[in-house]
Amino acid sequence: MFRFIARRLLQIVPVLFVIVTATFFMVRFVPGGPFTSEKALPPEILKNIEAHYGLDQPLWRQYLNYLGRIAHGDLGPSFKYANRSVNEIIGDKLPVSLELGGLALAVALALGLPLGVLAAVRRNSWVDYLCSTTGMIGICVPTFVLGPLLVLFFAIHLGWVNASGWYDWTDRVLPALTLGFVYAAYIMRLTRGGMLEVLNQDYIRTARAKGASEARVVLRHALRGGLLPVVSFLGPAIAGILTGSFVIETIFQIPGLGREFVNSAFNRDYTLVLGTVMLYAALLVLCNLAADVVQVWLNPKLKFE
Amino acid sequence: MATVSGCSKRETSAPATPAAPEKILRVSQRNEPATLDPQLATLPDEFFIIRALGEGLLTPNPVGGAPLAGVAEKWEVSPDGLTYAFHLRADAKWSNGDPVTADSFAAMIRRATAPGSIAPKAHLFAAVREMKAPDPRTLVISLKQRTADFPAIVASGPWIPAHEKPGIGNGPFVLSEWKPSQHIAVRKNSLYWDAARVKLDGIRFVAMDNGDSEERAFRAGQLDVTMAVPVTKIPGYRAAQPSVLRSVPLAETRYLALNTQRPPLNDPRVRQALALALDRTSLVEKVLQGGQQPAFHFVPAGLGDYAPGLRLTENAAQARELLAAAGFPGGKGFPRLELTAWPVSGGQLEAIQQMWRRELGIEVALAQREARTHLASLAAGDYAVAFMTAIPDCDGASDLFTQLTTGHAANYPHWSNPEYDRLAAAAQWAPAEKILLGDMPLIPLYFNSQNFLVAPRVKNWRADRLWTRFYRDVTVDR
Repeated sequence: MFRFIARRLLQIVPVLFVIVTATFFMVRFVPGGPFTSEKALPPEILKNIEAHYGLDQPLWRQYLNYLGRIAHGDLGPSFKYANRSVNEIIGDKLPVSLELGGLALAVALALGLPLGVLAAVRRNSWVDYLCSTTGMIGICVPTFVLGPLLVLFFAIHLGWVNASGWYDWTDRVLPALTLGFVYAAYIMRLTRGGMLEVLNQDYIRTARAKGASEARVVLRHALRGGLLPVVSFLGPAIAGILTGSFVIETIFQIPGLGREFVNSAFNRDYTLVLGTVMLYAALLVLCNLAADVVQVWLNPKLKFE
Repeated sequence: MATVSGCSKRETSAPATPAAPEKILRVSQRNEPATLDPQLATLPDEFFIIRALGEGLLTPNPVGGAPLAGVAEKWEVSPDGLTYAFHLRADAKWSNGDPVTADSFAAMIRRATAPGSIAPKAHLFAAVREMKAPDPRTLVISLKQRTADFPAIVASGPWIPAHEKPGIGNGPFVLSEWKPSQHIAVRKNSLYWDAARVKLDGIRFVAMDNGDSEERAFRAGQLDVTMAVPVTKIPGYRAAQPSVLRSVPLAETRYLALNTQRPPLNDPRVRQALALALDRTSLVEKVLQGGQQPAFHFVPAGLGDYAPGLRLTENAAQARELLAAAGFPGGKGFPRLELTAWPVSGGQLEAIQQMWRRELGIEVALAQREARTHLASLAAGDYAVAFMTAIPDCDGASDLFTQLTTGHAANYPHWSNPEYDRLAAAAQWAPAEKILLGDMPLIPLYFNSQNFLVAPRVKNWRADRLWTRFYRDVTVDR
């Protein structure tokens, strides 16, 4: 198992190298640059600015310089924000996205898992229909509809919380619910599906035949197998949820990494684009690895190769 | 600059009655500033904050017209218009107590004009030939040539001096906190020479990069002044709360740049036909519905003392004749041009497309592009017809007229007319505009407006047509 994990971790290096290289050149071939503005800069000023940021050098040299930099853990200066480094920006914004993501994940699991199990156990009853319908609505209603609706009701109509901002715990409630609800819906449906499949298996009948209580059958024997589809979904989903959701962060004006990720592309903030892409790639690989490990642990039929 | 938060805080202005709640104005801030350095900033959004933190020799006049005294209490011009002497007030101080001297301004000008300067607005200093500071309170600037707009240029944002230590300013407020993408807080500067007039204890610029979130925050009582109102919400506010809705004209021309290097748009008759066939009044009244004014000339009237002589006269019949004379009777044989834009609101491109189809029988394709992609194609001349905006850097006509001179980086039509260049250099604005309207390298559409919300608790909110805000007299209830 440790060899498996070590090998997968080592694979991150070439993966990141390919991603950095592809992103570096792709972002440079996009029209416009970090200093493109409505009123085009005079050519001599533009030249000075580009020299200031080293953009006047040949692209291959900029690429090598950049690789040298990131080998030392330096993601470079932001092209948009004078005197701020990409390390600083990520260090500033990532914790916010992690907090939002963690809370949303807690909401998603706390709602999705029990409801999914309940729907599977009470299959084709009103409980199942209610859960399935709610789940379907959760999947269908986008966050940019749900978020503003929650704001209208709880912030503007009732005045219980702020409409936007990220200052105290009350500001966490609506964003975490909005982001968590969508994932809760997916988790609910996947849990229900996984549980239904498992509940029909022979070993469940055996457990029942041996006189195990219904609660024990469900929680002890079935849940472990029933969670497999949820786990493989959660791998990439957690990476996405943790690096921030652009939509949620925009609706609630949360100073997280998701907004920086998207805006850096609009701003042609080359170094910030690269920094956030790399971070996202690394997180994605790590979360997938974690999902694989958990899957092997949950499913005795699988083995580490 | 981004990391100065708190390091320059001066708690010298203890409130007279500690129990009284502080008067903090909460203003929406649409774009996170890249910098608060007046010489490096480019966006109006950055100058919203810079204007609170610093003051130039002169300041724009809130009601338009000649600039008002700033750090300079008086100034005079030599009879030939080539030498300006500014007399600085004795009580002008930086927020750390240092006096603001003529050298502070000379250093600023040297910095912006030095070889290798990265000041994006360096052209606002281009007229300066040399400066002298005979004493700390006198700055004498001589110019390369007569510059009609010079006082307006001196009052522009990039002429606000910067202290070498970040976080120190000479304005009515001083920076107290900068939380990126959250808020920027400024506190009253008790060392400001006119501090007695400043009524607010502070301003909080709240990051709001989305119009809908901004409007919801306003309704929830978190914001006092917004940047805009979503277009779809304007009728609602007009009906239910007309007192909070403000609509002010801007000195911002929205126009269609025509690529004059590319057939058939290299034919002035075709350009004329496209310009005359539009119905600007119905464009602003029926489509945009946000208080914009139809533009029958390029440079807004009243910029400096500019008064346009000639105005474009819409005439669809004449447009058809011109198009026929150019070889496209009834639009026959006219190539399918592409009208490109950044993502703009509310059907205006479709309206233009339809007017050309109806009046001239020609078809244009519409394409909306991501903003910088669009700007890059304009600069490269890689477009046919492009939606664009022109915002002057100071309250004078020279800036926009100069923009269309041969080879200027923002001459997006890539147009060249020696007579126009000569008139623009000689500040002969009215005849220059006449050439523009005759040759039509661009089609003026409308003068933009700003629609925004101001909470009833705010008194004396003031901003001019060039996005300059005047915070000194603003106050809030409670």
